[in-house]
Amino acid sequence: MSTLLTSQGVTKEFGDVVAVDGVSLNLSRGDIVGLVGGNGAGKTTMLRLLCGLYRPSNGSITFHSADGSKKPIHELRQRLGVVPESTGLYHRLTAWENIRYHSRLHGIDDDTAWTRTLRFAKSLDFAEDLHRHTRGFSRGMRQKTALLRALVHGPEILLLDEPTGGLDVTSARMVRELVSKLRDEGGTVIYSTHHLAEAQMVCDRIIIMHNGQIRSDGTPSELMHETGTDSLENAYVSLTSDIARAVIKEESETRISKMWRSLLTPSSKNKEVGEDE
Amino acid sequence: MSDAPMRLRHIRTIAWKELVDFVRDWRTLVAVIVIPLLIFPLLFFALPMVLQMEAAERGAMELDIIIQGDEPGDVLRELFSADKLNISFEALPEEIGIDLSVPLNDSEVIKRGDAQAILRLQNNATNNTWAYAILHDSTDERSSEAYSRLLHNLAIWEESLVNQTLEAHGLDAEETLDPVQWSGDIDAADIASDAEQAGWALSLFIPLIVAMWTASSAIQPSIDMTAGERERGTLEAVLCLPVKRFDLLAGKWLAVAAISGTGVLLQVVGLIFAVSYLTDSSSFLQMPELSTLSILLFLAGILLFTVMVVAFELALAVRSRSVKEAGSVLGPMIILIIFPALFAQFINLDGIEGFWFTIPVVNILLAMRELLMDRVIFGHVAIWFFSSLFYALMAAWYAAKQFNREDLVESIS
Repeated sequence: MSTLLTSQGVTKEFGDVVAVDGVSLNLSRGDIVGLVGGNGAGKTTMLRLLCGLYRPSNGSITFHSADGSKKPIHELRQRLGVVPESTGLYHRLTAWENIRYHSRLHGIDDDTAWTRTLRFAKSLDFAEDLHRHTRGFSRGMRQKTALLRALVHGPEILLLDEPTGGLDVTSARMVRELVSKLRDEGGTVIYSTHHLAEAQMVCDRIIIMHNGQIRSDGTPSELMHETGTDSLENAYVSLTSDIARAVIKEESETRISKMWRSLLTPSSKNKEVGEDE
Repeated sequence: MSDAPMRLRHIRTIAWKELVDFVRDWRTLVAVIVIPLLIFPLLFFALPMVLQMEAAERGAMELDIIIQGDEPGDVLRELFSADKLNISFEALPEEIGIDLSVPLNDSEVIKRGDAQAILRLQNNATNNTWAYAILHDSTDERSSEAYSRLLHNLAIWEESLVNQTLEAHGLDAEETLDPVQWSGDIDAADIASDAEQAGWALSLFIPLIVAMWTASSAIQPSIDMTAGERERGTLEAVLCLPVKRFDLLAGKWLAVAAISGTGVLLQVVGLIFAVSYLTDSSSFLQMPELSTLSILLFLAGILLFTVMVVAFELALAVRSRSVKEAGSVLGPMIILIIFPALFAQFINLDGIEGFWFTIPVVNILLAMRELLMDRVIFGHVAIWFFSSLFYALMAAWYAAKQFNREDLVESIS
């Protein structure tokens, strides 16, 4: 299969914190890739780098079009569908209005968008809820709306950040089935998750990230073979055995704000844990 | 191939969505449409009514007065009685000297409410003059009212005494006391027409209202569409779309400008209605007569001001990660508008130097004042137009810069 995205030694730094550290990977058309890692592993930063929201501090990310030529990032956005972790829905709009807003900005006419939305909504058992305001939506309904919104323009590549986080078993299963359906249709998906078992169910290829680096990249059996373990969970533990860093990203705030905040924060250096204030 | 039509479509889509999203909150509709539309009619209708009711209530009060010292004649007694002042008499305190204003122990009488005021009167028999002082409590409404009525009636009594003295000496009161007099109708001597006077009167507060309302009404939508989106995590999904960030800013700007522009327009409509129908013909507030050019330039001035203020507020709001943070930045920013706006009201427009029309905020307010007086001075127009255009572009550039920040995708949610 032809290459779709290439990441060459990509590093992303926020002040002193290296969120992504020299990541190189190739993504081919039709790949369903699981990006697995714990909190602070660098998964969300990597996804944001891939969709051009962050500029790499070092290295490069290239999008390859079907004819093999390299394209700038805004070309990728036309072919990109994203479901961020926060879902990002406007609560005073209906589910369909949220979807239509994105489809219009993709240049899709409303009739085409509706036909496409309805098709996927039926497979998510969500067609009846499309004209409801999203204000009272459950986490699962929000996630489904965000997923339909990401699919409305027929993206070539779909980036999903924790798509089943907070979903009940049935809803999570529906999302996984939809991803499988996309795979059958030749779509490319990057599926970021904390859960190894879920990645194993959905993805052909698993990338394990830890402390901003790629620790392993391959099929589940390749990962087990590489680590000499008999389960994916053991392989994961073996690959991420060093202590996970606590990533506290420096906020982009002015020096005065920082100084003021630290002045008004009582120091706990000389206090024992549990000691009363 | 130019992508201008597509970009315009993007801007329109973003602006429309923002407007729909915004007006679906009924509180917003009240704030943007109902309040600006009704504020002046209510002010013009309700304020005089409340003042009248208050005056009637005060006029109906019966007040207790103590007169200490010499008894006045029947004239003053009748005046007090007609003005609902119940009087009682007592002697002046023994310890009082020549200064009648020293309260001594009498302040307690007023504090307790036994009387609302004490009038101390002392007659000088040698030259038949009177010395007086009124003890009262200026923080007490009834005592203040008693003080006012006493002063008013003492003035009438004094006038009658003066007239009696003049007549006793064979003098005419008017000739003696008012030897230099205006001849005819004072208003008729003012060469300014009613419309010009109305323009002048309106120029004293309309620019201030327009400036303050534009700045304050843009704050909430600016915050909601930027820091609010960051807080709710909706901005990240939008930034992944094939839309240039400048177009995103332009769409949001258009929506905020439409909201605050509508507010300003409705406020002016409300004011025109109030001036036309709720003021009587003798009021100094009437409709001014403006040329078409003045009206067009006035609207251009508001537009440029709106471009500048909205772009600046959007830029400041988008720097904030949360609504709370944005509110604490933009709230005090209104001072930056109010101070120069107030300052501009006191600048004399006759012979004004051109540099005043280059100062941000001040320039538009001065321009509006001139235009409301139907003065189109092309030198001034050129200076305020181009300087305002420059400031508007600078504000837009700054906002565009803020919209290109990488941390825009980060939210606290």
